Amino acid sequence: MRIIDVHTHPVFSKRGRTPAELRRWIAHGRRFDIVHMIVLGDVLLFGPTPNAAQLRHINDDTARVARLFPDYFTAFCYLNPLLGERAVMREVERCVAQPGFRGIKLEIANNAAHPSMRHVAKAARTFHLPVLQHSWSVVNIKNSRHQSDPSTTALFARRNPDVQVIMAHLTGIGFRGVLEAKGLPNLYVDTSGGYPEEGLIEYAAEHLGADHVLYGSDLPIRENSATIGRILGARISAADKQRMLFGNTARLLKLNLN
Amino acid sequence: MLIDTNVNLGPWPFTPVPEYSGPALVAHLAQSGIRRALVSHFGAVFLPDPMPANRKLFAAVRRTPALLPVPILNPALPTWPEQLAECRAAADLRAVKILPNYHNYTLRAGHLTGFMAALAKAKLRLILNVRLEDERHKYFALRMTGVPVPQLAHFLGRFPSHHVLFTGIGMGEVEQLAKDHANFSAEISFCETTNTLEHLLPKLPARRIMLGTCTPLFSTRGEADKLRRAHLPARTKALIGTANARRFFKI
Repeated sequence: MRIIDVHTHPVFSKRGRTPAELRRWIAHGRRFDIVHMIVLGDVLLFGPTPNAAQLRHINDDTARVARLFPDYFTAFCYLNPLLGERAVMREVERCVAQPGFRGIKLEIANNAAHPSMRHVAKAARTFHLPVLQHSWSVVNIKNSRHQSDPSTTALFARRNPDVQVIMAHLTGIGFRGVLEAKGLPNLYVDTSGGYPEEGLIEYAAEHLGADHVLYGSDLPIRENSATIGRILGARISAADKQRMLFGNTARLLKLNLN
Repeated sequence: MLIDTNVNLGPWPFTPVPEYSGPALVAHLAQSGIRRALVSHFGAVFLPDPMPANRKLFAAVRRTPALLPVPILNPALPTWPEQLAECRAAADLRAVKILPNYHNYTLRAGHLTGFMAALAKAKLRLILNVRLEDERHKYFALRMTGVPVPQLAHFLGRFPSHHVLFTGIGMGEVEQLAKDHANFSAEISFCETTNTLEHLLPKLPARRIMLGTCTPLFSTRGEADKLRRAHLPARTKALIGTANARRFFKI
């Protein structure tokens, strides 16, 4: 079964900074039938709120990965919405001028209900890019200023129905997060984040539809065998597993991987 | 054939997990290549007396030899000696499990001396559960953290002749403890990073690592695949997946 991993950080801290290391990641992915990875950047390299120069540094690293191995990596442009409309639009324009960029990545500069998210929505609309927002339930981690609870990511999707939004980290958003995401056709969830807690894959398929669930691993933080195995072992149809592991991301990002 | 050292029966109050009968659990585990499992009952985690849940456990596995019952005991209760005796009379035990954080005592507690002596006399292994859930996802009103590493270290130093299996232990915790202590093994369900076992092995020898899936809280297939799909020699996989548990629990 061919797999696309929508949530990876092959460049992470000191790792993934040479062509040889990237080749090792490709070999690692192929061992798990992963035929393509989406590169989200070394997003915490400069802390939660990088400035414009730091963003360029991170996105240049991402661009290099996609340029070196275009058949295996697709890039997302990392943004800090708090820098304002001009900086956001300029950085996205700079990214999409390079080959391989097909989406926007947001981390923990602000939560997804923040007013600055309108700049991200404008960039997504202008350049026809989906937005992948790091999301995690703030019930226990108590950092709602920076962390996007699933309720705020869902609010962003509701406010911008013409923007495709990926709510990251199914395990982090949990069962409540699935219900927050329910009924929003422009909102997808990725399956990355945390241990492979039982029942979430089936629950997401039931409430969101299997066509709104995308396989993600959060490489190199989590284990591909576990993140793939939780889908292969889920009590859903083989066709739904195939959609989650490959078809949905290929369609959403218009990837031609034949 | 794999042996799973961390499986539970019964309902979990905070997430909708499957409630298997004994035979249904055997069939479920077999789908992931697991042929034997050490099984406890969730009912003993939160209730003041673990014995009703232990009795349910013994009844559930009576006709399923693939499931080896591991009763949960609370050494802070004055009744633990008679409860241990009842458990030994009810089944052919290999081990008992304790959950210090759920049962509200520390590993410095004095009553553990007699408890550990009784286990030694009965030739029973101890499984010490460090956590059952990712602390970030627990029920909002539950003040629960994993058993702290300094307590685990104190316990290992206090009972150097006992070799303990830690279930629910994280990768960083294993690394901290392995520097100074050789009298523990670790189960892998809460150890996770990319290429988990390749990262864990330099810190802890293969003969001290055992497969555990934390079924039904975690995906059995996902956890079993951490071992089955690991890039390791077959002999190392056999140790972690089967031989270590077979030797430790005399299966």
